[in-house]
Amino acid sequence: MAEERTVITLICERAADINNLINDKDEVTDAPGVKVLKFPCSGMIQPLMVEQAMKAGAAGVIVCGCQIGDCYYREGNKMIRERLLGERPPGLKKTVDRKRVLALWLSKPQKDRFLSEAKEFLSVVRRLDIEESKKG
Amino acid sequence: MQEKMEKSNIFHTLFLEPEKLINKVVTSKYNPLYYHGALPQFIMYVLFLSGLLLFAYYVPTVDNAYFSKNLINAFTSVDYITNTIPFGAVVRAMHRYAGDAMVIAILLHMVRVWFTDRFRQYRWVQWLSGVVLLLMVMFIGQTGYYLIWDERSLLLTRMTVSAFEAVPVIGEPLKHWFLNGRNITNLTLSNYLFIHIGLSFSLLFALWIHYVRMTRPVITPPPALNYLLVALILVAVYLFPITETKMADLNLQPTNMEIDWFFLWPYWVLSSAGAGGYWFWITVLLAVLCLIPLPMFYGSKAVEAAEVVTNKCTGCRLCSLDCPYQAIEMVPAPAGSRFKLLATVKAYRCSGCGVCVGACAFDAIDLPDLPDAQVNLKIKELLEAK
Repeated sequence: MAEERTVITLICERAADINNLINDKDEVTDAPGVKVLKFPCSGMIQPLMVEQAMKAGAAGVIVCGCQIGDCYYREGNKMIRERLLGERPPGLKKTVDRKRVLALWLSKPQKDRFLSEAKEFLSVVRRLDIEESKKG
Repeated sequence: MQEKMEKSNIFHTLFLEPEKLINKVVTSKYNPLYYHGALPQFIMYVLFLSGLLLFAYYVPTVDNAYFSKNLINAFTSVDYITNTIPFGAVVRAMHRYAGDAMVIAILLHMVRVWFTDRFRQYRWVQWLSGVVLLLMVMFIGQTGYYLIWDERSLLLTRMTVSAFEAVPVIGEPLKHWFLNGRNITNLTLSNYLFIHIGLSFSLLFALWIHYVRMTRPVITPPPALNYLLVALILVAVYLFPITETKMADLNLQPTNMEIDWFFLWPYWVLSSAGAGGYWFWITVLLAVLCLIPLPMFYGSKAVEAAEVVTNKCTGCRLCSLDCPYQAIEMVPAPAGSRFKLLATVKAYRCSGCGVCVGACAFDAIDLPDLPDAQVNLKIKELLEAK
């Protein structure tokens, strides 16, 4: 069986407040394998970063911004959402497996939602890993 | 599990909880809390339209030939609008309650902007122009009450005159400007009408300043919200029809009035604190509102503006198009460059949000705090750490 790969979370520091969900290694304590990198705004996340995370061996990438319509910096979450959907340049390359990218739009109090979504996503991408290793 | 609410955090109870609930019921697309800035703008259109209909029949005079049967003046024209024209009373009441709704919407906007910390640093222009807009809206609303020319209008006029007279040096000219002469005459009401309408259209200019540092300001709520808002105003119109009042009589001195707490509370201040106290409190209030964005109150560090990597920039304009604060300007590239344009950051407008970083496919713009290279390094580190 393939080794268990990591899921990278690129999250806006003003979205779901997950500070007390993560340990000092930037890993979600209740979902080991989900690691977190914070940004001042989800608008700063480049599709290129998603791509590079995958290239560097991530099983999947979670992009998390604030509720659509309520970005502290006005439009960051809309921008990255449109970029991931290919509606705004620069977009995400076609070679990136869309099944392995999860976008979440959560406001500050929604950390429980974040946790449950992250756990589910982790199990989904790991199942994908297993299926793909059987095939290939 | 319901998460524990932080102590003393009014913001949670006031906004986050209702916000969560509304998002659950109508989804974030229709959450009025996400359109708090656009709501007053929509109400302004309601006011413009209903005001236009009222304007068609309004006569700005004070002619006071009492007991004359066919007297035509401001009061009787308002009376005509209310009682004779089909749905005139509805339009008039809509104009009044939309005005009240405007004040409520502006206050909601202001309080939410304050609680969500979206009013200072690179946003101070928006806050200050907002204070000016609030002041304008208040004065427009008050002139609306003068225009009806009932006993309350007369009392308000005289109270305003007494407040102006108390101002040193320019008090007398202010009074003459306000009354459009030394006494209350027909010209007074045409001045009121001019202020009421002229200042209303000046709102558009002040709004331009309010929006000028923002790219794509959200100025239209979704239609569903607009319908709902108009429906709410109509409910108020039918539940609280405007009561009949008595025509102003220049020979009498009315002493009591009903107070519209949205627009007329300054007159309550005036009557309880006297003219001197009134100006004192109004100045204090305005000073506090204007000083709120001063950076020294927050001890926050200055924004680290984004920096363009000059030799990587291709002049593609994506960052300048996406910048939410109009902080990136495209200038002609220096001689010898392969490209026509070069992005430059106006540091005083930059919020340090990094949307430009997300927009750049060439890694040509960076936040000094968190450059791209560092992000990619961090991602690698996270993946390698076991």
